[in-house]
Amino acid sequence: MSNKYIALPKGISEKTFDSAIADFRSVLGDAAVFTSAQQLAPYIKTMMPVPDLDHAPSAALMATTVEEIQKIVGICNRYKVPIWTISTGKNLGYGSAAPVERGQVVLDLKRMNRILEVDKDLAYALVEPGVTYKQLYDYIAEHKLGLWLSMPAPSAIAGPVGNTLDRGVGYTPYGEHFLFACGMEVVLANGEVLRTGMGSMPNSNTWQVFKWGYGPYLDGIFTQSNYGIVTKFGFWLMPAPPAFKPFVIQYENEEDIVEIVEIIRPLRISGVIPNAVVIAHALYEAPVKARRSDYVTGPGSIPDAAVRKLAKDHHLGIWNVYAALYGTQEQIDLNWKIVTQAFGKSGKAKILTEREVGDDPAFKYRAALMRGDMTLQEFSLYNWRGGGGSMWFAPVSQARGSETLKQMALTKEILAKYGLDYSGEFIVGMRDMHHIVDVLYDKTDPGQVKAAYQCFDELLTIFSAQGYGIYRVNTAFMDKVAETYGPVQRQVHKTLKKALDPNGILAPGKSGIR
Amino acid sequence: MRKTKPMRTATVLMLSISVAASVMADMARAATETNADKGFRWRDGAEVYSKVCSYCHQGQVGPRLFGRELPPEYIRAIVRNGSRAMPPFRPSEIDDESLAKLAEYIQRN
Ligand SMILES: Cc1cc2nc3c(=O)[nH]c(=O)nc-3n(C[C@H](O)[C@H](O)[C@H](O)COP(=O)(O)OP(=O)(O)OC[C@H]3O[C@@H](n4cnc5c(N)ncnc54)[C@H](O)[C@@H]3O)c2cc1C
Repeated sequence: MSNKYIALPKGISEKTFDSAIADFRSVLGDAAVFTSAQQLAPYIKTMMPVPDLDHAPSAALMATTVEEIQKIVGICNRYKVPIWTISTGKNLGYGSAAPVERGQVVLDLKRMNRILEVDKDLAYALVEPGVTYKQLYDYIAEHKLGLWLSMPAPSAIAGPVGNTLDRGVGYTPYGEHFLFACGMEVVLANGEVLRTGMGSMPNSNTWQVFKWGYGPYLDGIFTQSNYGIVTKFGFWLMPAPPAFKPFVIQYENEEDIVEIVEIIRPLRISGVIPNAVVIAHALYEAPVKARRSDYVTGPGSIPDAAVRKLAKDHHLGIWNVYAALYGTQEQIDLNWKIVTQAFGKSGKAKILTEREVGDDPAFKYRAALMRGDMTLQEFSLYNWRGGGGSMWFAPVSQARGSETLKQMALTKEILAKYGLDYSGEFIVGMRDMHHIVDVLYDKTDPGQVKAAYQCFDELLTIFSAQGYGIYRVNTAFMDKVAETYGPVQRQVHKTLKKALDPNGILAPGKSGIR
Repeated sequence: MRKTKPMRTATVLMLSISVAASVMADMARAATETNADKGFRWRDGAEVYSKVCSYCHQGQVGPRLFGRELPPEYIRAIVRNGSRAMPPFRPSEIDDESLAKLAEYIQRN
């Protein structure tokens, strides 16, 4: 064990690491290389049910230029020191800013934060990794560009590069973020700089308007991967629509998810409802309005009767469908008719708009997300259990009512075994639904930490046995999820890794790839 | 022109990035960038508060910070280490100088 460092990269001696650090300092300067426990504190805290020290970095580097990054990978290759790249570093519930393996050096690109270009006519942006949604939002407002962002719920403090590279989601019609990515610049492990798609061609001005370029499409292999360090990222923005109508449709029973999904699917596929819809369970919305301790005390998950009472007290449905219409007023009026007719048929749905619930805190933050406005209201989730423990359980489901009900029931049953609540929602898809469940627990309570770990492990085991794959996972469970996709995919990932990063210096272990 | 381009990329984009020349060309491109616009910087404590802290601490998510005369050292420690569900913020996000201004701003209000 080293005294000088809080951790060392796997298989690297303190002496070798000294040399690597000295070289990093000569490139970046002393102030941009952190090694002390105090400096590294903000890179260590995670929300996962494993000791934070299991994911403690050995150092953190703050690079601001492509050239510095090229030199850093040169040093990493020389000493076989692995780096873990973050952009805005707010991957909360998926591993935060900490590396997948103890001892990796964090390459923090937050300071590389220039907005390189926003084109109003073609509605795209080209940004560096450290740009936050808030920075871009303010820039667009200041320059009156009339463009909307799509962002995840941590909006203000997260950023488009890290979010999209991890294939994150938002809530506008551009909510499936990687679908709207267009062109990347990537520093490869050998120090070369690749511009994907049209960006590879000298003098091309179509890098941010045509995704595919020529030959195999490469952008995908730089998402959820460790094949390169993305230093510039292009993506499309939505022109602000002339009118916007958010709404919520409430249902009173868990089984109603079948009807909801059956109604929504054709409306989504045909584009009548254009945005990434959310079907949120009462327990996902409750923390914005209610305290758990008002409804249940002692161990165990919250009983159904208490959830029903809570929903009633706080004007929530057991399911709450948040969606919006975008376009001219005429388009919205027409589509609103189609939506209300479809949901009105069974008599079970309660359809509410800004007029009825404009001041409701849950509706307000959902409406903000659906038009790409900043809000961190969803962090209320952490007041439900307290203690700062959270993992996103994120299986993919068909957008078919029977399937969503089955996944919900199965998740709830497994969570209950461990005394945890079903804080779940279904989001995004036309043909798929990302089933997103916040596995909330108190990280200061060793009993809950243990239960949360075992529960998450069981969720992954049971779901994969039923053929339900996970779209994204925290760093403590990446190998386990990689395993569920079978040996052939794993081998292909490995083959690519060997070819592009033979020394394994880029984030070994990300998505189970080494 | 309606297009906004804070950085002059024209010379940069004209560089050849054929395979053989790519590394050298990229070095040149990187060198140009070093001299370009430096990107985002915080103006003062009030700006950090309004663009980061206020979303939780002015809403119903986290505790109120104003009117409590919280000591600056305490604020600095919580920002850097996080607390329960509050994520820590790195010097790359809020630099030491801006954090000092933020802590002073919160204490003052
Ligand atoms: C309350 C709450 C709600 C949330 N809601 C959502 C949501 O609606 N949608 C959603 O998607 N997520 C959500 N999240 C999860 C997460 O906070 C966001 O996805 C966030 O955008 C990710 O952090 P980031 O943008 O700072 O990316 P980063 O942390 O910077 O990056 C994420 C990962 O991408 C890779 N990476 C980053 N930069 C690079 C690079 N330059 N080159 C190569 N690889 C790189 C790394 O593996 C890194 O760990 C939520 C979290 C919380 C706490």
